[in-house]
Amino acid sequence: MSETDEVRIGVFVCHCGHNIAGTVDVTAVAKMAADLPGVAYSGEHMFMCSDAGQQLIKDKIAEHKLNRVVVASCSPRMHEPTFRKVVEDADVNRYMFDQVNLREHVSWCHSREPVKATEKAKDLVKMSVARAAKLAALPIKKVSVKPVTLIVGAGIAGLRAALDIGDRGFDVVLVEKDSELGGSVRKWTHLFPADESGADVIKPLMKGVKKHKRIKVHLNSKVTDFDGYIGNFGVTVTNLKTNKDTKFEVGTVIVATGFEPFEPVGYYGYELSPDIVTLAELQELPPAEQLKKPSDGKPVKKVAFIGCVGSREPEKPGHEHCSRYCCSATAKAAGDLRDMVDEALVLYQDIRTYGRGHEEFHRMARQKHVIYTKFPQEEKPIITVHKKTGKLHMEWKDVLSGDKLEFDPDLIVLASGMQPPSDVTETAKLFSLTRSGDGFFNPEHIKLAPLTTHTAGVMIAGAAQAAKNASEAVIDASGAAAKAVGLMAQGEVEIESTVSHVIPDLCSSCHTCISTCPYGAIAMDESHDPPVALVTEAKCHGCGTCAAACPSNAIVMYHSTNEQIMAMVEAYLCAVPDVQGGGAA
Amino acid sequence: MSDKKAALVIGGGVAGMQAALDIANQGFPVYLVERTPSIGGRMAMLDKTFPTLDCSACILTPKLSEVAHHQNITLLTYSEVGSVSGKSGDFKVRINRKARYVREDRCSGCGDCAAVCPVEVPNEFDQGIGFRKAIYVGFPQSTPNVYTVDKESCIDCDRCVKACERDAIDMDMEDEMLDLNVGAIIVATGFELFDITQYPRLGYGTYRNVIHAMEFERLINAAGPTGGHLVRLSDGKSPKSIGFIQCVGARDVQKGVPYCSRVCCMYSIKNAVMALEHDPEAEVWVYYADIRAFGKGFEEFYEMAKKRFGVRFVRGRVAEIMEGRTTGNLVVKFEDTESSKVRLVEHDLVVISPGILPPEGMDTLATKVGINQSEDGYIAIQHTFFGPTATRTPGVFVCGCADGPKDIPDSVTAGSAAAMKATIVLSGGST
Repeated sequence: MSETDEVRIGVFVCHCGHNIAGTVDVTAVAKMAADLPGVAYSGEHMFMCSDAGQQLIKDKIAEHKLNRVVVASCSPRMHEPTFRKVVEDADVNRYMFDQVNLREHVSWCHSREPVKATEKAKDLVKMSVARAAKLAALPIKKVSVKPVTLIVGAGIAGLRAALDIGDRGFDVVLVEKDSELGGSVRKWTHLFPADESGADVIKPLMKGVKKHKRIKVHLNSKVTDFDGYIGNFGVTVTNLKTNKDTKFEVGTVIVATGFEPFEPVGYYGYELSPDIVTLAELQELPPAEQLKKPSDGKPVKKVAFIGCVGSREPEKPGHEHCSRYCCSATAKAAGDLRDMVDEALVLYQDIRTYGRGHEEFHRMARQKHVIYTKFPQEEKPIITVHKKTGKLHMEWKDVLSGDKLEFDPDLIVLASGMQPPSDVTETAKLFSLTRSGDGFFNPEHIKLAPLTTHTAGVMIAGAAQAAKNASEAVIDASGAAAKAVGLMAQGEVEIESTVSHVIPDLCSSCHTCISTCPYGAIAMDESHDPPVALVTEAKCHGCGTCAAACPSNAIVMYHSTNEQIMAMVEAYLCAVPDVQGGGAA
Repeated sequence: MSDKKAALVIGGGVAGMQAALDIANQGFPVYLVERTPSIGGRMAMLDKTFPTLDCSACILTPKLSEVAHHQNITLLTYSEVGSVSGKSGDFKVRINRKARYVREDRCSGCGDCAAVCPVEVPNEFDQGIGFRKAIYVGFPQSTPNVYTVDKESCIDCDRCVKACERDAIDMDMEDEMLDLNVGAIIVATGFELFDITQYPRLGYGTYRNVIHAMEFERLINAAGPTGGHLVRLSDGKSPKSIGFIQCVGARDVQKGVPYCSRVCCMYSIKNAVMALEHDPEAEVWVYYADIRAFGKGFEEFYEMAKKRFGVRFVRGRVAEIMEGRTTGNLVVKFEDTESSKVRLVEHDLVVISPGILPPEGMDTLATKVGINQSEDGYIAIQHTFFGPTATRTPGVFVCGCADGPKDIPDSVTAGSAAAMKATIVLSGGST
């Protein structure tokens, strides 16, 4: 072996405070690793991810001329990028790094069995060291980013994002399936927490977008085809009226497809009387001096609101979540309407007026003698509609007094929750987005990356991400715009080299890989004779499905090669062969 | 890079860090000013985070590294804004860099100095439950990883100076002024906890086993003063029964905090779950007014706390807490509003969930920067819909808890949004 080929592995075992060291004997693991073939250094540290831990890795790489690094710490999900950068700073290719998960996979799940946990930790480190010895350096690839953003949905979030990106000096294509801009907000006459109507709020944005020279608007249109990869997406937009297709390329995407108000069929007699309406329907009523009954136009004297309709229903898929905006919107609406009716009641489970100024609406509603009454989660109010007169009657248990109460309102308003739009499945498929239990799109990380998704280059904003109010949607929009502009301003981005590769000589042109690839990343290379499968690397997510499916063994998964995987299996099943490898430290 | 206009971000918590990153990623230089010795803010102190129970330090550390190593970000820790003048696109800012008595360019964070320091004082990062030396880093992931001398506690014994092999300690260091020219400013100064001694009936500060939520976070943290063992501060016993008390210093007009603090319900549910993770046999009660589980995944987390973990949620405001003289146990007196009965329940440990307030020094900072505050002391935003991250002063933006209580995802989102607005100014566009 020449000096450059010699395998010199460094093993770094992390205590993670007491998180790992409290269960696993980390010193024993590090000691065991020191004697493994190819290992030139093995050590431990309190927190490998801390600056001091990172420095230790860099120092040892230099000191021991390490060319491969194994860090035994936590899940690579969070810290693989951290350590890849560390080894890269020390001139070791990022793909020569391997991470062992001693925390989530060992100490946390076997916290009551420290001896066995330590054995498992040793096994995992052995396997990783065996893999590390077979790792190969891969190129660091970059792709350019087209300075155009596609925004799907022209509600308040889509409009705001479009304006921000346009004002920042980048081009925007805004696609809206409706015949008008403005989304849900445009339709609403009361928009809490401000006193403005939805129209007042949305108009300046619509005007700004219409006259902006960097924003191109497609109304009555839908994205019907979406292809490509970060920085280079091909988009087809179809005009639903003319059926005409427009094709163009963009670098980034913001999905701002919003929500639909839940239509509460089967809840509280909604479909039995025109005098039972949803909060969204109430908000769409034109402003008037007097609130009138939809059934006969007579003035409403008594109104009742019911909260959490279609929300907060445990074990009912799609309805488990809290819809966030309704408590505050109800407080505002009830307080406003109280001035024109004799009695206003709000039936609730919890009052969630959490935001700035929201608690004040709640308090003001109560000061105006809006009556709040809490009903039990397991015993919902019962609404009856008189068959002949159409009169409404409600009965419920008031939790705080323990009494059964009754009320005969003229109008019942159901604060129905937010649901994803009916075509959400289509949108999810188009942009390869996943959805959470609430039906809305999953962000990349629920806490620290709420606006980006697992599809690199595709952002989400507003109610597309979760139920939220209009002000929050505006903040999301600007935030998502920042993400898109960040990519476009840099002009190019790095992409992963952990992709699959077809060896043309082995390919039997059977098309199996093409049909299994979930990302459409494989096509036939017709320029080759005979045509063979070819992977578009920027589109490949490295899932390995094609490599597993290929009957000719013609597909290599870089960074998870058969050789690397077999080395791990052998390291686990077979005793370490008695050979000296690497430099003895 | 240097020919582009720079931005100033005030506050190195998660919102400020996100804002700095999103500006820097567009190629603009950013100065990130933080008054404590390390960035990370309140999030760095938390144990786990709701609703996913992600370990806070684990998800935050990559961001700390990213900020510290970003070529467009200049970190100015242990520094405060001295003065601001000028206007949008052209602000002159004077930064006061407090003397840390350790040279940042030389310190490697090895800790040899702290090992020989004979002075131990309560560690602010651990809410005063743990101890640190007079030369210290608050926590292992401190960024930058540079020690700081707490001159008020230092006895000038010079042991650290002798122990430092890199000659990084300079006891003659003085405060320095740094003048910056920036195009836009983002205020991300965060929050502080309500002083719960204002509720003497709850016994905090008098009864040793009444603690607040941030102290609880440090007690259950594996890197905290007890190595993650949940114990009572009076006698070191593991509590078998814990009560969490909600809305203390929040939704209380009489104490000047009429608003909801927005995070306490969820952090308490999370802490209740964590208490049961530590000891599945324990009995855990939460005394609440309304459970406000409004964010993505929050309601589902609340349901899980009830059903899977068996946390007992009781609706009722606590009237007072009494301490058993010999046992140190606590009796919580409250009206169970669901049965309309006054009840007494005994707990080994009571954790109070304080509301949150604008941080100390907010008034001074607002005056220096020239921005308005709302009645409750937070930074006033321009408009709920048209400028939720803008202040009423052009070129100055706000994010995180500086304009009102927020949870982590909302703070991060606001950080990105404020960054977007700032970069429009920096690039010469209109906002």
